[in-house]
Amino acid sequence: GSAPPGPVPEGLIRLYSMRFCPYAHRTRLVLQAKGIRHEVININLRNKPEWYFTKHPFGKIPVLENSKCQLIYESVIACEYLDDAYPGRKLYPCDSYERARQKMLLDLFYKVPHLTKECLIASRCGRECADLKLALRQEFCNLEEILGYQNTVFFGGDCISMIDYLFWPWFERLDVYGIADCVNHTPALRLWIAAMKQDPTVCALLIDKNIFLGFLNLYFQNNPDAFDYGLSC
Amino acid sequence: MSGGSARSLGKGSAPPGQVPEGLIRVYSMRFCPFAKRTLLVLKAKGIGHEVININLKNKPEWFFKKNPFGLVPVLENSQGQVIYESAITCEYLDEAYPGKKLLPDDPYEKACQKMVFELFSKVLTNKKTTFFGGSSLSMIDYLIWPWFEWLVALELNEYVNHTPNLKIWMEAMMKDPAVSSLFIDPKAFRGFLDLYLQNNLEACDYGL
Repeated sequence: GSAPPGPVPEGLIRLYSMRFCPYAHRTRLVLQAKGIRHEVININLRNKPEWYFTKHPFGKIPVLENSKCQLIYESVIACEYLDDAYPGRKLYPCDSYERARQKMLLDLFYKVPHLTKECLIASRCGRECADLKLALRQEFCNLEEILGYQNTVFFGGDCISMIDYLFWPWFERLDVYGIADCVNHTPALRLWIAAMKQDPTVCALLIDKNIFLGFLNLYFQNNPDAFDYGLSC
Repeated sequence: MSGGSARSLGKGSAPPGQVPEGLIRVYSMRFCPFAKRTLLVLKAKGIGHEVININLKNKPEWFFKKNPFGLVPVLENSQGQVIYESAITCEYLDEAYPGKKLLPDDPYEKACQKMVFELFSKVLTNKKTTFFGGSSLSMIDYLIWPWFEWLVALELNEYVNHTPNLKIWMEAMMKDPAVSSLFIDPKAFRGFLDLYLQNNLEACDYGL
């Protein structure tokens, strides 16, 4: 029932998002890291406005919209678009092989979002999730091996880069999802997490634990106000 | 031999040597559609390359050192750098080599190509559910099916062996009463196609 937003003003890019969505979090990290002027419109994912389906056919987030009315969706594509289209610090390496390496690494990560979500749902619904946690630990072992083999702090080398930002949102959520123990046997990954928490971009967008828990409580009670939990107005 | 028509290497074969300077090597298989993507880009950009075909039914042990997933295509350059996943290899070639750019320069146009590719990949891999709409057959499956029925009618359906989820979907579809009752007879279809390609006006009534 909300009114559709107007066109995006010149000089700005708009992100359709949701404060707690890990995929949208990726795009917000890139916007922050590159210092891109932007506005955020949060979408109530349980009660999507009808106009939103003109932005994305399935009403998913994140979606970028620029002042030329161009729409970009799929979080990884949106992040790459921002890195290409905006000047300043490049998050993907310049070297074609190193770029390809980061994309291959992303493939290694593909099971993590699904597994973390299943663990969360299982624990919230009072179900056993030992098998899921085992599978997740295995995925983390694969990532641990990469860091060991490279002998670098970050996945792209000694400095933070795109691939680290693309992984981060799920690791930030391990604690509130109740699965922080899944990194117990992966010391290099724990060091990476600690290094990420020192990054100014990551810090600027860190979600307060209590607010996240408040959101999760309402979300699992199917309360449509969940998405706005913690907002004062 | 460096041509694409060389016999494939299987278990027990000697690992190939270093890639010569000035060339890039692609590990491929003559009938693999994913590897075909990379070969197309190599050809389109005129990139000097050598092809090593891999016997995907009897993979050489050394091949897993190139790609831990043991899949083709894989690129290897003279510096020993290895790139795998078909879309990643194609993009790498476009960026690393001069000449005609296959991906647009404009960031938005490039993003559009990637968005279309994602949609296409979802059709090909359909990772999460048995059917395209979920765990049971629904409209979207019927909307997509006719093109895959053509594959069966032309006896090309074994090419989905590379994409097991798609193969499972096809098998499930063929059990559906609506699909099976309207299934095209392969002989009739080929008869139609022959006439159709000759622009024969009787094509549409073949078999009646």
